[in-house]
Amino acid sequence: MKVRTDIIKMYKDVHGWVGILSGLALFIAFYAGAITMFEEPLQRWASPPVRLAPAPSLDKAPELIAKVLAAHPEASKGYDVNLVVDANRPARVSWAVGGRGEEHGPRKTFYASLDGRGDLQATERGPSPIAQFIDVLHQQVGLPLDHEIAMPIMGAIALLYCIAIVSGTVVLLPSLVSDLFALRVGKNVKRMWLDVHNVLGLFSLPFHLIMALTAVVFAFHDQFYDAQGLAFGGGAREERRAVPPRSGRPLDPAALIARVREQAPGFSPISVSFTRSPGGALSARVAGTDPRYGLRGPTAGFAGVDPYTGIIKATDYMPGSQDRWSATITSFFALHFGNFGGAPIRWAYFLLGLAGAMLFYTGNLLWVESRRKKERKAGLVEQTRATRILGALTVGVPLGCVAGISATLAAAKLLGESATSGMHSAIYYAVFLAFIGWALIRGAARAGLDLLIAAAATTASIPIATVIMAGKHPFTVPMVDITAALIASGLLLTWRVMHNRARGGPRDSVWSIAAANASGRCNPAS
Amino acid sequence: MAEVTSRDWFGKSSAGLLLGFLLALGTSGLFKLAAGVGDTFFSTKGQFAMWLIAPVWASVLSFCFLFASTRAAWGWLGLASGMVWGLLLALGGVA
Repeated sequence: MKVRTDIIKMYKDVHGWVGILSGLALFIAFYAGAITMFEEPLQRWASPPVRLAPAPSLDKAPELIAKVLAAHPEASKGYDVNLVVDANRPARVSWAVGGRGEEHGPRKTFYASLDGRGDLQATERGPSPIAQFIDVLHQQVGLPLDHEIAMPIMGAIALLYCIAIVSGTVVLLPSLVSDLFALRVGKNVKRMWLDVHNVLGLFSLPFHLIMALTAVVFAFHDQFYDAQGLAFGGGAREERRAVPPRSGRPLDPAALIARVREQAPGFSPISVSFTRSPGGALSARVAGTDPRYGLRGPTAGFAGVDPYTGIIKATDYMPGSQDRWSATITSFFALHFGNFGGAPIRWAYFLLGLAGAMLFYTGNLLWVESRRKKERKAGLVEQTRATRILGALTVGVPLGCVAGISATLAAAKLLGESATSGMHSAIYYAVFLAFIGWALIRGAARAGLDLLIAAAATTASIPIATVIMAGKHPFTVPMVDITAALIASGLLLTWRVMHNRARGGPRDSVWSIAAANASGRCNPAS
Repeated sequence: MAEVTSRDWFGKSSAGLLLGFLLALGTSGLFKLAAGVGDTFFSTKGQFAMWLIAPVWASVLSFCFLFASTRAAWGWLGLASGMVWGLLLALGGVA
């Protein structure tokens, strides 16, 4: 396709700058995001066995609920009844107190069961916080900031990402036909990286468009609603109509679920949330899945149910029962979350996410290499300080992210019951920052080799931790350990390739060990 | 035709960012008017109107570099926003 050369040149510049500004943050978002595809299996893998007595059957749930409400009246505001009790939802009944905008401090969740004599047991020990930690890392592109501060930054990066997608595609258009199926592996390493970058980018273009546009909405939806409310009125956040409390007895959870199953045979309920409004009205919401449809939440869709009759009232978020508008909105969420079509789609999204991370990594590499070329043309023998630092970050940030996530995952098994979100965060950032520091001190070429080995070792420590802790924490979800072993081997393989290249590649490359040895550190003064 | 360069990126991209948002917000307002949406937060049509902002804003921001100059970017995008918001005002879609 013909495109004016000045446009190509202009978009090439734009692509380079937006890419270098957003690439490293996007690497973290995509690597962590790929892992969140399996947040539920990961949570099952990481959660130590529960100490609660075995959950009473669903038919006995009313007895458990009555005892919970008697001992913990604050649970009457809202509690969940879980239909499947497993490591993700470790009790028949759970409830949460505190949380956003409340004065009771941070949100705490409690889990309850009945012991052999029918006495109430309650514990705050729930599933491992690791899946949640990785999810937040993904949402906040790795920034350890307050959610309200991190989200606009993430939104700005998402907008840069949109520009990068458009500019990158335009730049590729003229040579599309000749370059599309070309992967020139050979002497010209930069050419090869460019081919890899182009192939990854073009073949996952729809995926990237979806991710970029949904991320803009996820970051800015509050501001968008506020702006619309300001401009067009209509009370963006009007109060829901108060429903007066009803007399009569609500249905038992088992009967309620039976009624829901009758009305929606394809919908598989997971849990029911009962909430009581300040006015006293009881409402029920059933969370569930239907693999034939996309889901509004990451792992579930929702049906609003009349707690007294079991009749499904609200289907806006219910897979398979939505009107066209709701189904369209849900499709945006589902396309981001990859929660339709079951395991094959989740694996496809996992691979697309890793491919995306590679896209940003190769983009950064290309940027550093072209700067090196420009600098050499300008007569510089050594790279400038900025190029060195960017080269170091291009190695340190991605490998630090991979190793940090691996270390904190392995720690989930070792820490067992005492694991908290804060500990996972501390471990991740300690490893992440150490990798970046090492890259800056040693320079990209030498640090790249060291850090690849270190990242491979931390990732291999995941299955090792599983084996060490097997006595206390029986084997579950072996796929996590197998995937970690595969990623560790991949990192080792990369180390071998890099090791050979560092010795044979061009001397002025950021990857040249000879140059790194000659000039010492990453400090241009030396 | 004048050649485009990346040198005036700041002027063009700030037009894309600011006027692009105004244009996107106006577009969502026209949609709300056409679809007859009262509120935004709870109705799914209203949510769709909110979602519309992202693709319009991102497209303007991505393609604003094609304008011949900063002045052209501000001029054309200003004109487009003026038309959308003028139409909204005329149809009574603004609070």
